[in-house]
Amino acid sequence: MKALGSIGKSIKRSEDKRFLTGQGKYVDDINLPNQVYAAFLRSPYAHAIINRIDTSGALGSPGVSLVVTGTDWLKENYGPLPCTSRINTFVGGEKMKVPPRHCLAIDRVRFVGEIVAMVVAETKPSALHAVELIEVDYEELEVVTDPEEALKPGAPQIWDDIPNNLCLDFELGDRIKTAAAFDSAHYIISRKIKNNRVAGVPIEPRGAIANYDDDTKRLTLFNSSQNIHENRDAYAIDVLKIEKEKLHHVAPDIGGGFGVKNGTYPEPPLILHAAKKLCRPVKWVADRSESFLSDTQGRGQVSTVSLALTKEGKFLGLRVETVGNLGAYCGTIGPFTPTAGTARTQGGPYGFASIYYYAKVVFTNTAIMAPYRGAGRPEAAFQLERIIEETARELDFDPIELRKKNLIQAKTLPLRTAMGLDIDSGNFVEVFDQALSLTDRTGFSARASAATRRGKLYGFAIAPYLECTGGGSKEFAGITVRDDNKIELSVGSHSTGTGHETSFAQLLSGYLGIGVDSIVFFQGDTDRTPFGGGHGGSRGMEVGGSAVYEAASTFIKKGRLLAAYILGVENSRLQFSNGVFFVSGTDKSVTSEDLIAQSAGSEVINGEFGYGYLNVSATFEREIMSIPNGCHACEVEVDPETGGINIVNYWAVDDFGTIVNGMLTDGQVMGAVAQGIGQALMEESVYADSGQLMTGSLIDYALPRAFDVPNIRIQYYEEAPTKKNPLGVKGAGEAGCVAAPHVVFNAIADALRNFNIESLDMPLTSEKIWRTIHRR
Amino acid sequence: MINFSFQKPTSITDAVTALSKSEDGLFLAGGQTLIPVLKQRLAMPCDIIDLGDINDLKGIVAKKHSVLIGATTTHSEVEASPVVREHIPALAELAGHIGDPHVRNLGTLGGSLANNDPSADYPAAVLGLGATIHTNQRSISSDEFFVGLFQTALDPGEMIVRVEFPIPEKSGYAKFPNPASRYAIVGVFVSSFSGSVRVSVTGAESCVFRQVSFEEALAEHFAIDALTDFAVPSDRFNSDLHASAEYRAQLVRVMACRAIIMIDEEKKQ
Repeated sequence: MKALGSIGKSIKRSEDKRFLTGQGKYVDDINLPNQVYAAFLRSPYAHAIINRIDTSGALGSPGVSLVVTGTDWLKENYGPLPCTSRINTFVGGEKMKVPPRHCLAIDRVRFVGEIVAMVVAETKPSALHAVELIEVDYEELEVVTDPEEALKPGAPQIWDDIPNNLCLDFELGDRIKTAAAFDSAHYIISRKIKNNRVAGVPIEPRGAIANYDDDTKRLTLFNSSQNIHENRDAYAIDVLKIEKEKLHHVAPDIGGGFGVKNGTYPEPPLILHAAKKLCRPVKWVADRSESFLSDTQGRGQVSTVSLALTKEGKFLGLRVETVGNLGAYCGTIGPFTPTAGTARTQGGPYGFASIYYYAKVVFTNTAIMAPYRGAGRPEAAFQLERIIEETARELDFDPIELRKKNLIQAKTLPLRTAMGLDIDSGNFVEVFDQALSLTDRTGFSARASAATRRGKLYGFAIAPYLECTGGGSKEFAGITVRDDNKIELSVGSHSTGTGHETSFAQLLSGYLGIGVDSIVFFQGDTDRTPFGGGHGGSRGMEVGGSAVYEAASTFIKKGRLLAAYILGVENSRLQFSNGVFFVSGTDKSVTSEDLIAQSAGSEVINGEFGYGYLNVSATFEREIMSIPNGCHACEVEVDPETGGINIVNYWAVDDFGTIVNGMLTDGQVMGAVAQGIGQALMEESVYADSGQLMTGSLIDYALPRAFDVPNIRIQYYEEAPTKKNPLGVKGAGEAGCVAAPHVVFNAIADALRNFNIESLDMPLTSEKIWRTIHRR
Repeated sequence: MINFSFQKPTSITDAVTALSKSEDGLFLAGGQTLIPVLKQRLAMPCDIIDLGDINDLKGIVAKKHSVLIGATTTHSEVEASPVVREHIPALAELAGHIGDPHVRNLGTLGGSLANNDPSADYPAAVLGLGATIHTNQRSISSDEFFVGLFQTALDPGEMIVRVEFPIPEKSGYAKFPNPASRYAIVGVFVSSFSGSVRVSVTGAESCVFRQVSFEEALAEHFAIDALTDFAVPSDRFNSDLHASAEYRAQLVRVMACRAIIMIDEEKKQ
């Protein structure tokens, strides 16, 4: 099936007018008649025994209809929120240690912000007021927030039956072969490399409304979720212990997710319980402080990274040992990120004969960790490109040449990496060269001298990256022909602001040859999309778009039979092109739009073919993940007097295979690079030793602003579409997060080449830079 | 936020009377600190008296030797004011870099001064220019106005009406903003009046203060090399998540130099 011209064009986003004029419909825009409000008492301690909870004050407070504590919750016989990580077995064969993650703390709190009680009241202020009237007798326990400390003998035990706070260990790769490679190496360079813990901070905080229909005994949850089907199964089956059909899960417009809204949370089952109990809709929307305390956070790893190489600089082996912070509980797939998530892309686009990755996943008295945009691939890329940069620096290799000589050559593709990734397409050397030529190396010395004259230090870095995308492997797409001659396209995944409404309609329009205006996009409702894989792993276009392709193919197959009937010809004589079914060499033809119009109203057609004949339900299931890759570069200016950093230039060449909508793809690259810059320069979720969150608001948690992000020059390498899906696309949503942090870090390291940067970790705040320069 | 009764008087007298009658009332100016505090339930006043409709608190007027700015003038109004730009451009610059556009469109001069946040920008300008704070009861010199952490010389029920900024020969403000909040990690205001120099520092200590050693050095020789060898003692400086006292001390010197460079660049234009 060949696509029409609209695919590849930078069509403007049809949802933007709605979003920009305040017409978007988010959870907080929904209000149901007779609704009440939930508020949560959250633990002020990072680790404490709950001796007693007195809810009498709250219960007697005006407007309060329900107060629920952990004891009440257990009486209902509800289950804990499940951990569905498929990485779940110790290297030694033992099962992963998953402590019960109940929606309310039962007799002990394990992080600041954990829910201790829920209050439901007539108004939000009355609910908040009643929360303050609950008295809890806490007995404080020792706290550990650092995962390396948590592993040490004598560290505070967060779970009595989980020794050393160790949830799981994990390995991937050939340990013995890697050891042999290190034995034969001329050089071995090792560094301890930290990946800072960050908050996702979607602009729309989490929130939900639960409703119960006593007639149908059915619950409805309007929820700011980027993964409605899997969340529904967990809430219904695992927690509430009802059939999944009894929970209707709806996600309206979503204002950003970045992974934060992918897993399950305690608040939705709690308000579902309250809705059922009170037979009234129950609403809750987090404020920003609540979000900082209770949203899942990301990254938070510390690794020992070693690179073995020959005298000439040929990479022989890579060894990475990681300690990953899980927070106080296993998040939905929490253990995945520091294990397989970080292991898979070790080695990047370089030829490594052997790699060994080992990780320990550890509980601490902090909020729960989960995949955050990139989920392990940014960590892996950062470890690799930092150790390569340090190697070049220490051994006096040219960092560009050292990288280039070790890149996988296109002629050796397809191949399977030492970590088991199948690379089917790409040209890493060509992409690297294209990026290098964008950067105007000949002009560098003039730019650097100009900076020097202004009293600034100037640095440059370039590095390739490789990642793997696809997330949940299976996706639904459906086409429904409506009476108004429009067709409704529904996809099981969910746009979190990522433009599915535009790009999926654009795809279908291209395949069927119908106007984008004739397509109505629909998403986010478990009653109308039978399944879906959520929004994660850059899978929107790769898996969702491929499902749209499958739906379009089926539509055309069916349409051909209908067209043959209408035209009175043999269906084998019909061809389809540019939205027209026709018999070559004749004037017999009918367009897709005509088919839709005729089938909608015609009793004859309905009689012959059945009502809704052109409606389609399609599934796409990918086998293996695609391998986006690219090469980013940047130049930075460092102010030695203040340590302030200015990213002067940023260049990106990305291989995302086929580009469906360049403007939307640019948006993904820019947004992800901005988050990568944020992580490199300013973002960090900081816990005090007491377990108090120090960065609990936007006054203290620094997010990059527009002027912190340079103009990003983006170019796509479109010569290597993947064969792993019918579109030839490779996921684009997370690549910038994978590519940016190390490029920014290494450019700063280059600017600081005359100083000792050994103790520098992200975020590279101005004070850290100033101390490095002034040796303080 | 908890419920409170809301009043919006149109005269200073009515506002002051309303406050005096209230058991636990607060004035609301731009609300850029008060509203978040209310939302976090950290303050629970029974009455809020909004000053937004009082004309006597508004406006910018130039006199022969000073510029008068009404207490409820917003930061963006100060930033855009031709009067301020002509007579004290550094003040317009300062106002234009407070917070973000949303904050500048609502936040007010009087609100910022009455709150006296240790990292706010305006106290640096008021102290650095030796301004006078006119209240509904009296006039207070800037040297007496800023008392301590979130503390001012204002008595209970006393309201800032306008601030009188003397027009300096030259002045400049440089700040190193907190990357998260855009408050000053350190901000330094430098002004010069026929030989006498004022240097004020915000963000570094619990309250804005004058860096007298800089003033003396610059009075003798108004150029950055006058400050080159100054070690700024840091023992009273704030140390927090965003900056250590030692780093702040460095920034005090650097920001003072940059304020002077700004003055020099302005003169060239």
